[in-house]
Amino acid sequence: MSVLALQLAGPLQAWGASARFARRTTENAPTKSGVIGLLAAAQGLERTADLTALTALRFGVRIDQPGTRIRDFQTAHHPDTGQAMPISDRYYLADAVFVAALEGTADLIAELDAALRCPHYLPFLGRRSCPPSRPLNLGVHSTGALEDVLAAEPWHAAEWHQRRHRQETTVALPVLTETRGGDTADSLTADTLRDQPLSFDPRHRRYALRTVQNRTVTVTNPHAQPATARRGVPPHDPTSLLEDV
Amino acid sequence: MTSRIILDVHALQNVPPSNLNRDDTGAPKSAVYGGVTRARVSSQAWKRATRRYFAALLDPAELGVRTKRVAELLAEHITALDESIDPAQALKIAAETLQTATGSKIEPPKRQAEAAKKNGTAEPAPASSYLMFLSARQIGGLAELAVEGAGDIKEFFKNKEHKARAKQIADTQHSVDIALFGRMVADSTDINVDAAAQVAHALSVHRAEVESDYFTAVDDRNTGAEPGAGMIGTVDFNSATLYRYAAVDVDLLERNLGKGLAADKSPATPVRRAVEAFVDGFVASLPTGKINTFGNHTLPDAVIIKLRAARPISFVSAFEKPVPADESGGHMEGACTRLADYIPELERAYGDESAATWVLRIGSATAKISGLGTEVPSLNKLVESVGAAVAERLEQRG
Repeated sequence: MSVLALQLAGPLQAWGASARFARRTTENAPTKSGVIGLLAAAQGLERTADLTALTALRFGVRIDQPGTRIRDFQTAHHPDTGQAMPISDRYYLADAVFVAALEGTADLIAELDAALRCPHYLPFLGRRSCPPSRPLNLGVHSTGALEDVLAAEPWHAAEWHQRRHRQETTVALPVLTETRGGDTADSLTADTLRDQPLSFDPRHRRYALRTVQNRTVTVTNPHAQPATARRGVPPHDPTSLLEDV
Repeated sequence: MTSRIILDVHALQNVPPSNLNRDDTGAPKSAVYGGVTRARVSSQAWKRATRRYFAALLDPAELGVRTKRVAELLAEHITALDESIDPAQALKIAAETLQTATGSKIEPPKRQAEAAKKNGTAEPAPASSYLMFLSARQIGGLAELAVEGAGDIKEFFKNKEHKARAKQIADTQHSVDIALFGRMVADSTDINVDAAAQVAHALSVHRAEVESDYFTAVDDRNTGAEPGAGMIGTVDFNSATLYRYAAVDVDLLERNLGKGLAADKSPATPVRRAVEAFVDGFVASLPTGKINTFGNHTLPDAVIIKLRAARPISFVSAFEKPVPADESGGHMEGACTRLADYIPELERAYGDESAATWVLRIGSATAKISGLGTEVPSLNKLVESVGAAVAERLEQRG
């Protein structure tokens, strides 16, 4: 088994798991269907292609910088009559950074790694207008499980974000990993998300429920400033001046 | 796939107080990046501006029409081809042909039809239920086919060969705008077209808050007895130095457009024309939101275009840390300094230094980026050089 690590960073991203019609929402973290879609597009698979090999990959994601949610209001007008078309709301995650990892057979992981370096269809982060702002690929790990890779990866948050946490030498980052089949102890405390892609065929896209385990990992903050370097509050007691009076 | 042809386009553009792209409250759109609020112009807004700009660049025959009233459009072409077909008949034939070609229902809009029945007026013309995007050549081809089967159109399309021809016409000879921006036909996904161009939301390189202009308007016929303002209100605006980014997948563009078949021209001609139109249109166009209020007609001060062999690269990360205003004000010089430092470093680190690069820039503020590639003196020259280089690569590959 090997693990492929990706960094998903960009001014805007959108990862919908229940988006329909005029309201296009986003989850707080990349979805498995979104990342599998990104990889399938890099490989040049058509939307009707068989996804069995890709969906069998075990998926995990770490929230390095949660970002903020913004709403984009979109109107369209009929070009002939000038009448307004239905208004749509598109939600985006602005300013977020994630580390995603996929665990699978060494051959498939090597193939995906190569595909990302020279992708067949242009990559985007959940929505076409959201190109990545950093190279996606963080490399292949041939040893260690998905959890180990997500724990070992350095903190990829932006420098300003790390500086904002300068009081903390280590930070805890949420990690959402897919449970292994039959992992009953985990499954009891896990959430489910309908983002396990079965088919991207635009005639009937289908997604299954996926069990997601919520954990945190601790990473070091390269921009931490030790507390000793900072001055404390100077002692200040105004009444001391009155003692001699 | 071994060798790819990918183009990425980067532009820095100053926009004075303006409101190019509004949200539902009327304020200019914004986004948070690098922890601070930025001005944002959505990709949809700029794609529409680019598409509209094409009307001035390209022959209407190379462009598409996006409309629900496809049946009327096709009927016009049918009667123009064969005057013996009366307009009502042409409309019926057109609807049947479109239904066969696109798999979408083409019928009179229900509510309008009911209203017409009630009022005893004529039945409205059949239309599609959503905007259908067809190229001028596709409309022309379908009109010819419809005239051929005009005798008994239903019987005509029962023939498998004719049916396949209708579908094939709708799926080939895409217009430049369909090939670049894609097409979605909900009822018949096999004739969808994947967009070859990817346009990012434009973001300001610096912190930009929304400001509010309080205005009063005077009533010209106010009397001395009532000297107040005729109306008051506010208009939201911001001003920004925008970083704009787009990428074109030339391989996909070629699949969408097909190779040129004219014997006296290079097979790369259609792709070259589309690439040139996109570069010209994307660089020079501007969304028209509130443009008469603010008169913010500007053009980019700096344009960088890269022709690559693997994947496109956005440089927006160079501005994640907001660019501070220069001592004398302005963000253009700071933004250019960032790009001049960032681009070579990024390309060295990730081993992509082989890209052909063109730079179009004006003014001393953009001097820093002059070393990044071949400088060209004008947008015309830029468009021409990029088009020639793309054609050359396509021809080399054969």
